[in-house]
Amino acid sequence: MNGIWKLRNKNPLLGILLWVYAGLSVYPLLWMIFYSLKNNNEIFVTNPFGLPTHFRFENYVDAWSKFNVPAYFTNSVLVAVATVIGTIVLSVTFSYAVARMQWRLKETARIYVVIGMFIPVQVIMIPLAILVRDFHLANTYWALIVPYIAFNISFSSMVFYGFFRSIPVELEESACMDGASIYRTFYTIILPIIKPAMATMVIFVFLSSWNEFTMALILITKESLKTLPLGLLFFQGQFTTNWGAMGAAMTIASLPTVLVYVLFSEQVEKAMTVGSAVKG
Amino acid sequence: MRKFLGNKAAILLFTLPALLLYTVIVFYPILQTFYRSTFEWDGLSEGTFIFLDNYIRLFQDSIFYTSLYNGLVFAAILAFVQIGIGTVLAFAVAEGFRGSKILRISYFIPVVLSITVVCQLWLAMYNSEYGLINKVFEALGISYRQDWLTDSKTAIFAIAFVNAWQYMGYQFALLLAAVKSVPEQYLEAARIDGASKFKAHLKITIPMLAETYKFCLVLAITGGLNAFANMFIMTGGGPGNSTYTLTYLMYRSAFRVGEFGYGSAAAAFLVIECLIVTLAINKLIARERITF
Repeated sequence: MNGIWKLRNKNPLLGILLWVYAGLSVYPLLWMIFYSLKNNNEIFVTNPFGLPTHFRFENYVDAWSKFNVPAYFTNSVLVAVATVIGTIVLSVTFSYAVARMQWRLKETARIYVVIGMFIPVQVIMIPLAILVRDFHLANTYWALIVPYIAFNISFSSMVFYGFFRSIPVELEESACMDGASIYRTFYTIILPIIKPAMATMVIFVFLSSWNEFTMALILITKESLKTLPLGLLFFQGQFTTNWGAMGAAMTIASLPTVLVYVLFSEQVEKAMTVGSAVKG
Repeated sequence: MRKFLGNKAAILLFTLPALLLYTVIVFYPILQTFYRSTFEWDGLSEGTFIFLDNYIRLFQDSIFYTSLYNGLVFAAILAFVQIGIGTVLAFAVAEGFRGSKILRISYFIPVVLSITVVCQLWLAMYNSEYGLINKVFEALGISYRQDWLTDSKTAIFAIAFVNAWQYMGYQFALLLAAVKSVPEQYLEAARIDGASKFKAHLKITIPMLAETYKFCLVLAITGGLNAFANMFIMTGGGPGNSTYTLTYLMYRSAFRVGEFGYGSAAAAFLVIECLIVTLAINKLIARERITF
């Protein structure tokens, strides 16, 4: 926006408001990290708000060794990594065929898959639970990986579709002249071009599968297969005597997503806004 | 070239796995939800066809009306809080304040936290004895105390606020991207005509964001109507049935009581409700598409 206007209108009150809301947004997270380093007495009585007076890292040792945190963490990593790989492979190939190749029903196929973005997980929970049971996937990692991939296909296909449409056709033309097969062209020419889009979707799919709660709740009952969001659910009861350890477990669970976001904030936000722009 | 990009085998290989998985896991279940809502069904046997009886029962269930009301309260709070605050913050950040990158990241951080972590945190903050919020009142010397989650009047608001707080950053990011995409010359023209900044935004920027607002509203309202995890973790539907939503009702019916047909009817109703809301929003906002 216009430079002069900008300067004259830079309202200090607005600036304060911006920082106050930033505080409201981040403080609960900081509070959690603070109390992960305190003991119960500090949390409840002597020092509920501020920085810990001395850092009790033993809370982290407690959370990691006495409770199932390592198992939940491993499960979350496994499920998230498999989901990311599966989603990217299936949606890159699908959207390539829809955006670049020539066949009659491509537009129908694209719209059919986009509809999935409007179907909330909640309304298909019952049939999904039955399906997972009937396919004998209940209480295996596949019970989460397969639905997570299926649900992420719609959004990531749409994002890849947008990218594929922006590449000039001459690329395939020249590859075709040189006698390359479609597979080879796809693998050695097209895939490298859309690497940035793939990086964005890797982050996005990782965040969503790492934090997914509702499907995990319905589809996983076995303790040893629980992911972090599910495992943490039962900490309130277990940790009533040790709040610091609970804070530590929650901090451990949040660390990967917060780190990924802080490092790749632009890509994460780009991925989401692409979604809304295409939809509008 | 035609043969190259029309390679049938390649098309099949590229599209079939995705289409198959999507059809079985996402698309087919939605049809099943409607089909099974006409059955009395325990999830194991075939069930008996009872046509609309589940729906009739739903409309006679007092919990259904509580759930419906709560869904609407949830949706309204999400829409007002997220879009209201999101709009103010997005317009302000677009001005380019010092540290706007830190601000953007701060607003978005709650979005990337697990809903379990957020709910556990707020459970601790809402706690009537040692919770942070009552402690703030104490620190300010106000003798006001509130059992936020155990009072059936305040519980649904307290829960909805947590969700509104967590996902405000998402709406903010959408709005910020949209505000930044408005061409400068429109605002410059308004300035030359002597319009104040506030007025220029009201008359020019906001109408130009109609499509984004539509999307944000649909997101907030359907998000509110579908709310589940927040009440599951924070109150378990209580106190009494006061924080039930339709999804929670569905979850209880199917996975706790074993009435899968009845649960499916609640889910089917939810689909219709969301569809009506989406269509209504599309009809009400920006009937003429604004072109640049």
